[in-house]
Amino acid sequence: MGTWRLVLGVLGVLVVLYGIVNLGVHIPIQTLAWVAVWLVAAVIIHHGVVSPVVIAVSSLLRRLVPDRGRRYLQTALIAAVPVTVIAIPLIYRQGTQPPSKALLLQDFTANLGLLLGIIGAVCLVGYAIRVARKPLPGRAP
Amino acid sequence: MHPPGTAEQPTGTASGPPTRPRWWPSFSSTIRSTALTARLGRVLAIAISISFVTGLLSLYQYEPWAWLPAPASPAWGYRVTQGLHVATGTATIPLVLVKLWSVYPNTFRWPPFPSVKRVLERLSLAILIGSILVQLVTGFLNVLNWYPFPWDFVSVHHYLAYVVVGSVLLHIGVKLPDIRYGLQTKLPEGDVLTERPWNENPESHSVAGDLPPPVTPGISRRGVLTSAAAGIGIVVVTSIGQALTPLERIGLLAARQPSKGPQGVPVNRTAEEAKVSPATIGADWTLQIDGPRPYRLTLAEIEQQAVREARIPAAAVEGWSVDASWRGLRLLHVVERAGGTANSRVAVVSFGAGGFRRSQIFGPQLSAALLATHLNGQRLSLDQGYPLRLMAPNRPEVLNTKWVSQIEVL
Repeated sequence: MGTWRLVLGVLGVLVVLYGIVNLGVHIPIQTLAWVAVWLVAAVIIHHGVVSPVVIAVSSLLRRLVPDRGRRYLQTALIAAVPVTVIAIPLIYRQGTQPPSKALLLQDFTANLGLLLGIIGAVCLVGYAIRVARKPLPGRAP
Repeated sequence: MHPPGTAEQPTGTASGPPTRPRWWPSFSSTIRSTALTARLGRVLAIAISISFVTGLLSLYQYEPWAWLPAPASPAWGYRVTQGLHVATGTATIPLVLVKLWSVYPNTFRWPPFPSVKRVLERLSLAILIGSILVQLVTGFLNVLNWYPFPWDFVSVHHYLAYVVVGSVLLHIGVKLPDIRYGLQTKLPEGDVLTERPWNENPESHSVAGDLPPPVTPGISRRGVLTSAAAGIGIVVVTSIGQALTPLERIGLLAARQPSKGPQGVPVNRTAEEAKVSPATIGADWTLQIDGPRPYRLTLAEIEQQAVREARIPAAAVEGWSVDASWRGLRLLHVVERAGGTANSRVAVVSFGAGGFRRSQIFGPQLSAALLATHLNGQRLSLDQGYPLRLMAPNRPEVLNTKWVSQIEVL
């Protein structure tokens, strides 16, 4: 394993350097500074904003929602994240392009609503089936 | 069990380093585990490999070596590779977010900078995270024709890809023992991943010995993988319709809808954007062919000779594609009349202003290329490249030059 680690490490560093050197050669320095700003901003926004919000939401759910129901809610939320992340820029940009491009012509707000509705409904049905099959002890009729 | 000697030596006692401040973040969720992260990482590594290889294939279309011209067959080749590139890249955006969520506690190891080695690792991780996020986000913005960044997309996307792939290789090298542990351990049984490394955590399996798997009161680890896969699956199925025609109808998250394009093909660059109008073309337009025996073709002569039909998918670097039928005259015939051969290198020049007003074609694509006058049974509209456009199979839409004014046999 040691040899593999070394080979991967050295190869990785060389490939990174190849990329950085080429960025330096082909991109004007002022533009490159903007690329650097974006790189740093991406890390800060993800680690400083997005992740803390996710942690806060999940700890709030842990306090407020009982375990069994939370399982289904978490399932819905995790499935909703990819759909929402992709839909947001589409919503923001819809209707901005010439019609002949056939680009961003849809009502993505409605489409996102539909997809989230389907995800929510599937999880709700799953939860309802679970409750009907196995009521919590003491609450069963 | 975690293999011994693979992580850094503990910096404190079994109850944790004593110097750690009380306000330092701590993570109590039992869902996160190296076993979960390794499974996410494996999928991510495959996705990044697909994006990298298909990206290089696309780039090759722009800068082919003279001795290895881009092939013309299969005609749907670029359609598949670039459709895959954009679909994989799109799916990778949420995948990366889930992967980063799974290792977020590692950000809060105490002490933050225990050794030079650890500082270097953190730096390499910052490069990896920054570059992959920027790469994916700007790639997706390019699909939406949205450029809020001040750099040339293609160059930065190309060279940043090496930074991403190199950082991933380095990361795999650094984490190989953890990856091996994670993939060899059953998902529910893996050590809990918190801000405290497993070898400093008295409750981790690998330290405490045989214990029942950690309890996950809410969603299970398997549940995280399944729901993330479901969400990402929905994204792929509802966006791939821009390349996979039968799925266009359910393309709720598809940026392009090829069937809504004029004459059944979307336009990447409109005549207005390229500053082309009937006035710039002029009523007395002729095609100038430069070469050993230069000559001109009038519009009437071209339309008379345009009898060759071909089905060639239009496939764009933004990932959309659609099959289409074209009619026109063979570019090679035009080139041969000017003294060129199938081995010539040919430049096709456009009226259009801005980038890509000139493209070069040689090898198999030259032999298979049409100078098209008709698209799907109709005379080309201005947005589609009237009076004449290049159309070669397995070639990005942007290189199939529209509004052709001149052919140069080089």
